[in-house]
Amino acid sequence: MKIAPTLEGGLRIDPETAGDWHILRAIILDANGYETDLASRLGGLVTDERIAEDWQDIVVPDLRESFTDDLHRIYAAIEAAAAFPKDGENPIWITREDALTWYSALNQARLALEEKYRFGQDPESDPANLSTVRQEALLRSQFYCALQSFILSHSL
Amino acid sequence: MPETTTLTETKTDVATQPPWNVIVHDDPVNLMGYVTYVLMKIFGYNEKYATTLMLQVHQQGLSIVWSGELEKAEFYVQQLQFHQLKTSIEQAE
Repeated sequence: MKIAPTLEGGLRIDPETAGDWHILRAIILDANGYETDLASRLGGLVTDERIAEDWQDIVVPDLRESFTDDLHRIYAAIEAAAAFPKDGENPIWITREDALTWYSALNQARLALEEKYRFGQDPESDPANLSTVRQEALLRSQFYCALQSFILSHSL
Repeated sequence: MPETTTLTETKTDVATQPPWNVIVHDDPVNLMGYVTYVLMKIFGYNEKYATTLMLQVHQQGLSIVWSGELEKAEFYVQQLQFHQLKTSIEQAE
């Protein structure tokens, strides 16, 4: 996979192998892969009894809708690129306007992976000692993090 | 009969409520540069101040990034949560 900045302040992603498409599609799967969704986890941090009920009823559904919209847009961008190659290439364009949506989707995926596997609690752990499933999840999380860093430095 | 004038004096007693704190908590996922970016975007802080708050979050586990009236505090917490930062709200004692 090649990732390069564009002159307009965006990024171009060129998936080259089936594995590249697999990891891009995994963004959505990973983001939805934890039992409690992100909106509920964030909403649960508001515990003051004078606020908490309204927060659950009003803010959490808005958060959920916003996060889901972001994932839908990224899913559509990936599948559109996969379905309609141009001159034998399937570039995925992240424009400056799309940058925060992409960042959000990648962040949702990393937050869900962290909840599930708790990589952050043992940052020194040797990936070689992890099970295959955890190893693959860690690699995906690291890829998402690298892409987020590109977005942060070039597009936000 | 002499004319009388009544003077009325009104005293207003305002009870001051403790402010509400907007608190950002550390997490192992959100990038330091992103936390700084979000604090600048939402509160209009300059980069130096936003970085100071971000480092507080990173090093101390949390930072009070804003204090004030409830309605505004709720708005800020909502905005921070939309940006996926672990954020809570509590009234100062």
